[in-house]
Amino acid sequence: MLSVMYRWHAVASWTWDAHDETCGICRMAFDGCCTDCKLPGDDCPLIWGACNHAFHLHCILKWVNSQTSQAHCPMCRREWQFKE
Amino acid sequence: MTVDALSSVCNLGVLDSLSEASISEILQSWNSFCLITETIVKGDDTNLATSYSKFQSYVSSLCKYGLRSLVEEHFLLSLQDMLEKHCAPRFWSNFDAYNNVPDPETDDGNMHEDEVELLLCKALEGISSEKQYQEKCILMLVNSLLLCQENDTSIGHPFDMEKIFFSKYRLIVSSVLMTTMPRQFTAINMFIEILHWYFKGRLEELSTIMAGDYEDNNESQDNNQPSNMDIDGAYDQKKTLENKLVRNIGMVVHNLRNLGFTSMTEDAYASTIFLLLKAKVYDLAGDDYRTSVLESIKGWIQAVPLQFLHALLDYLGDFMSYLSPESTKSPLASTPSSCYQKSGKPSEGIIRWQLRLEYFAYETLQDLRIAKLFEIIVDYPDSAPAIEDLKQCLEYTGQHSKLVDSFISALRYRLLTAGASTNDILHQYVSTIKALRTIDPAGVFLEAVGEPIRDYLRGRKDTIKCIVTMLTDGTGGNNSGPGNGDSLLEELNRDEENQESNSLDDDINTDDKQTWIDIQRWEPDPVEADPLKGSRYRRKVDVLGMIVSIIGSKDQLINEYRVMLAEKLLNKTDYDIDTEIRTLELLKIHFGESSMQKCEIMLNDLIDSKRTNTNVKATINQLSQTGAESREHGASFDILGATIISSNFWPPIQDEDVKIPEHVDQLLSDYAKRFHEIKTPRKLLWKKNLGTVKLELEFEGKTLQFTVTPVHASIIMQFQDQKSWTSKNLAAAIGVPVDTLQRRMNFWISKGIVAESAGGDSNDHLYTLVDDMADGGKSITNNEVSMADDDAETSVASVEDQLRQEMAVYEKFITAMLTNVGSMKLDRIHNSLKIFCATPPVYDKSIQQLQSFLSGLVAEEKLELRDGTYYIKKNNKL
Repeated sequence: MLSVMYRWHAVASWTWDAHDETCGICRMAFDGCCTDCKLPGDDCPLIWGACNHAFHLHCILKWVNSQTSQAHCPMCRREWQFKE
Repeated sequence: MTVDALSSVCNLGVLDSLSEASISEILQSWNSFCLITETIVKGDDTNLATSYSKFQSYVSSLCKYGLRSLVEEHFLLSLQDMLEKHCAPRFWSNFDAYNNVPDPETDDGNMHEDEVELLLCKALEGISSEKQYQEKCILMLVNSLLLCQENDTSIGHPFDMEKIFFSKYRLIVSSVLMTTMPRQFTAINMFIEILHWYFKGRLEELSTIMAGDYEDNNESQDNNQPSNMDIDGAYDQKKTLENKLVRNIGMVVHNLRNLGFTSMTEDAYASTIFLLLKAKVYDLAGDDYRTSVLESIKGWIQAVPLQFLHALLDYLGDFMSYLSPESTKSPLASTPSSCYQKSGKPSEGIIRWQLRLEYFAYETLQDLRIAKLFEIIVDYPDSAPAIEDLKQCLEYTGQHSKLVDSFISALRYRLLTAGASTNDILHQYVSTIKALRTIDPAGVFLEAVGEPIRDYLRGRKDTIKCIVTMLTDGTGGNNSGPGNGDSLLEELNRDEENQESNSLDDDINTDDKQTWIDIQRWEPDPVEADPLKGSRYRRKVDVLGMIVSIIGSKDQLINEYRVMLAEKLLNKTDYDIDTEIRTLELLKIHFGESSMQKCEIMLNDLIDSKRTNTNVKATINQLSQTGAESREHGASFDILGATIISSNFWPPIQDEDVKIPEHVDQLLSDYAKRFHEIKTPRKLLWKKNLGTVKLELEFEGKTLQFTVTPVHASIIMQFQDQKSWTSKNLAAAIGVPVDTLQRRMNFWISKGIVAESAGGDSNDHLYTLVDDMADGGKSITNNEVSMADDDAETSVASVEDQLRQEMAVYEKFITAMLTNVGSMKLDRIHNSLKIFCATPPVYDKSIQQLQSFLSGLVAEEKLELRDGTYYIKKNNKL
């Protein structure tokens, strides 16, 4: 009777699972990276706001830092809070 | 002769003053003069002294009456008569024996060289002695004339008179010899032929003497300076032998020239020397391209023909008179190089000969090499000396266009044919670039030669693939080649580094100095350069650039590389990507970092995968030890590995649904869960059809190893529980269409693991596991790894497929345009698409991409291509 021993090398792709294709700020794919980054993934993470909108961390930080007063979410204009 | 005849010649005034007595005296003297002239000329030499005094008196008496010119004329006429009647026929009769030989060249036996030599010498000696005698006679006449004009100063210098006589005489001799030459058509050719034979024989003799010499003293080629060499007996002997030979030849040449055969003689020995030189070049050059022959040819020219000429010219003495006809004959000799003249040691004549001979040698060698250039380039790195020779020859002769024409036709005939593999063509192309770069650093001819190859390669489908393989994969390019394992890219890089290290020295200089050096180095483009193309980009022949220019743009090349890289990476199970990293770094140098960005991310994915994989497994094992998961389950994680890719940066990957065995599936989802925990909020999406599975099939007492795709693995694992499956059921279990299953099944059938038999339904097959491996075992002794890529299944969509998908959008535009306009040329379609498709989907393809897409449509019989114009294909059924 046949018995099979094996080593399985599988292939997968990762995704941020952001329920959206592209970052609202840089218009680059979430699973890609922001315009300033070279490598996607850990080097260019996503961040969710309290309003549940996701952006590249670098993009939203740039946005937040450029605002003089309280920053708003670029998508829904609610006050920007990082999601806990 | 009568008085009437006299009066016609003489001054009439003088005639009036003549008395009867004088007339009778004249007549008497004339008659006696005629008689004595005859005896003298006939050469009854016995009483020359007495006849001379008589002759003198008659001449003087005739001269007294002003009949000098008559005397001269009669004397010369009788000499000529003598020549015509006796000497010349005797001379020619010597060669009679050879007149009847129809073709002396084919009939060696009839003409022994020694015989020819003897014959020629004898004939020449005979006629020369006769000529000498006649010259003596002329001297006699001159002396007599001189005596009787001593008181008459009106006539020119005595020396002049002698010269005039001799030149007249020489003319007579040569014209008589020419006119009396036997009437047969071949006579003159025969004579020339004999001369050729003679010189050839002599030169060969000399050549053998010299050859020994030359080999002995390879360095000191000037044999005329024996003081520089060891003078021993052998050498002296050789020297005397040589001198004797040269003296013989000199004698012959001298005699011939005296007879008025100057130009014929020169032609004869010149052409003989050239023939000999040609033979020597052919002999030395041959089919061996591994050694440089130019130097030895030059050495030979120095050693043999020049020595011969040197000796000959020395013997003949008067260089200048000899050279005067020469300079008008040879275009090269009319512009003697001044630097050679300054050195002064060898005579001008020798220098001219040397230039002529060297030019001839260069030309011969060049022609020889050009004719064989294709072969030379085939074994290029080994044949570098031949290329170097050719370069020097071409510098001298400047016949580059000959090279280009001949090489292009050789290419068309031998390389650019359907039978040649793309790899071979590419390798030859690269060798051509490298070889011609040596000959012509500016790359002008390379451009001309490369164009047909590039055009041809553009028409081949696998060109890009081959180029990428050649560039990145050392062994993949040409297995039969030197196989040093280095990729072309690495080689190119090495070259570049060498060049850079060379130019580094220059950088030390100040900028001004550098500029100055650059200016001094400047050379005009060769005349053949195409003025339409700027000369600047030609400065450096860039092999990679030339290769990329086949494809059209580096983007296409990079894209192809990305696909190949993806394929390679997806099949890796050990995360070992050192070679890929090195290749990528090299590519980055050439194409720029930004172009290779995606490839870099791909490699990075592999590195990350390795880390993540260890991480995930370590934590899962930890969990399984402490947690609730079954021990068995946790252990089986060791068999799992994963490559996690950033799919946005990879080429489109073929997605195919497949149901993998449940426990593997379970492992994968555990793995994904763990990944999610580590890398929140990232998730894993398995591409279950991709990857590699190493299988070890164990039958009763027998194990077989395979490396297969997940689909194949899933299929065979289904047989663990159930020995036979119908194709429909199995397809359902695996989750693939039946036809796909059948295709995959072929792998196992071919390995003899599974047998196929017709099922109850005609569409349904029955697959049964082959139990009895006893007889199957002998056909499957391969315990080694065999990859299940039999039907060229690739996990990555090929570039063509990608392009077809992308171009499909424009198909409607194209057919609509062609329906409206009727017919369009390629560039017009391209331009129209650019204009009309300005809104998304924006048309951003190159004309080459469009062309390949259109040819796809032509193949599908949607379009028609006639004379470069595209039409909508009419329905043939109507």
